[in-house]
Amino acid sequence: MKVKVVRRILEANEKIAEENRRLFKEKGIFTINLMSGPGAGKTSLLVRTIEALKDKVSIGVVEGDITGTDDAERINALDVPVVQINTEGACHLDANMIREALDEIPLNDIRLLFIENVGNLVCPAEFNVGEDMKAMVLSISEGDDKPLKYPLMFQESGALIINKTDLLPHTDVDMEKIRRNALSLNSGLKIFKISCRTGAGLPDWTNYLTTLLAT
Amino acid sequence: MHEVSIAQSILDIAITECRKAEYKRINSISLRIGKVSGIKVQSLLFAFDIIKIDTIAHGASLLCEEGPVAGHCHECHNNFAVASELILACPECGGTRFSINGGRELDIVEIDVD
Repeated sequence: MKVKVVRRILEANEKIAEENRRLFKEKGIFTINLMSGPGAGKTSLLVRTIEALKDKVSIGVVEGDITGTDDAERINALDVPVVQINTEGACHLDANMIREALDEIPLNDIRLLFIENVGNLVCPAEFNVGEDMKAMVLSISEGDDKPLKYPLMFQESGALIINKTDLLPHTDVDMEKIRRNALSLNSGLKIFKISCRTGAGLPDWTNYLTTLLAT
Repeated sequence: MHEVSIAQSILDIAITECRKAEYKRINSISLRIGKVSGIKVQSLLFAFDIIKIDTIAHGASLLCEEGPVAGHCHECHNNFAVASELILACPECGGTRFSINGGRELDIVEIDVD
């Protein structure tokens, strides 16, 4: 006896992501799921972004790490609401982890919520958590071959922030190759070239965020 | 990448559907797995064979059908479906402005029960 079913296997995650999305919308919160490999500079980018915008925009942060609270402490020092999720081995955040973390965030007082995913260039891109957009960081030291080696994250992201541009003179990285290949995977991708260390290029990114929030 | 948890979701959904229809045994579960869903079928089958033990699906097999990578070109306005994993240009006109709308599915389509 055949029974037609037609069910999405990951529907449990999608359903909770949809509930999160509804909650964000109801509270007027724009949510960015920030992804990258380990050490590309997600937390440094958040620190720089919060420093630049916190007087204009109320920001909250959910930090995802396999273990430890280092990232949450760096954000906490800036005096914005932050909650740390420890995935205890899991390589990405899922919608349910976010739902549980939201109890710890004053949602009524936040306009922009960053969800910093676990450092991993593969799995985070596969799971929606209810975000308005995904953004990714790629650092110069990771090399210019990454877009074609890890295509999904580039395809899923609305913005690509290329960090550590101050290292360019010390490497053989071809910035144009990163740009060309990333755009061939995702022609709508917005690309920002920055250095969190020197601050170069950061206004392009923060102005972009301000414009996003104004629309 | 997450074949064990995905195998568990498949099993949970199939058992719920089987019980809902008041049947007692699952013989097979048909799946549609997109070419770029990130699922390694061999690992999925391996995981499923372990977790199905001691359930009403203990004799069940997974039947996997592969879904192609499908897209729509914004330059020539054709829809395309290809077997390759990575598409950098429209296979019809070579245009680079296109959107991908298929190939990541991970669906149960049918279960065979008694």
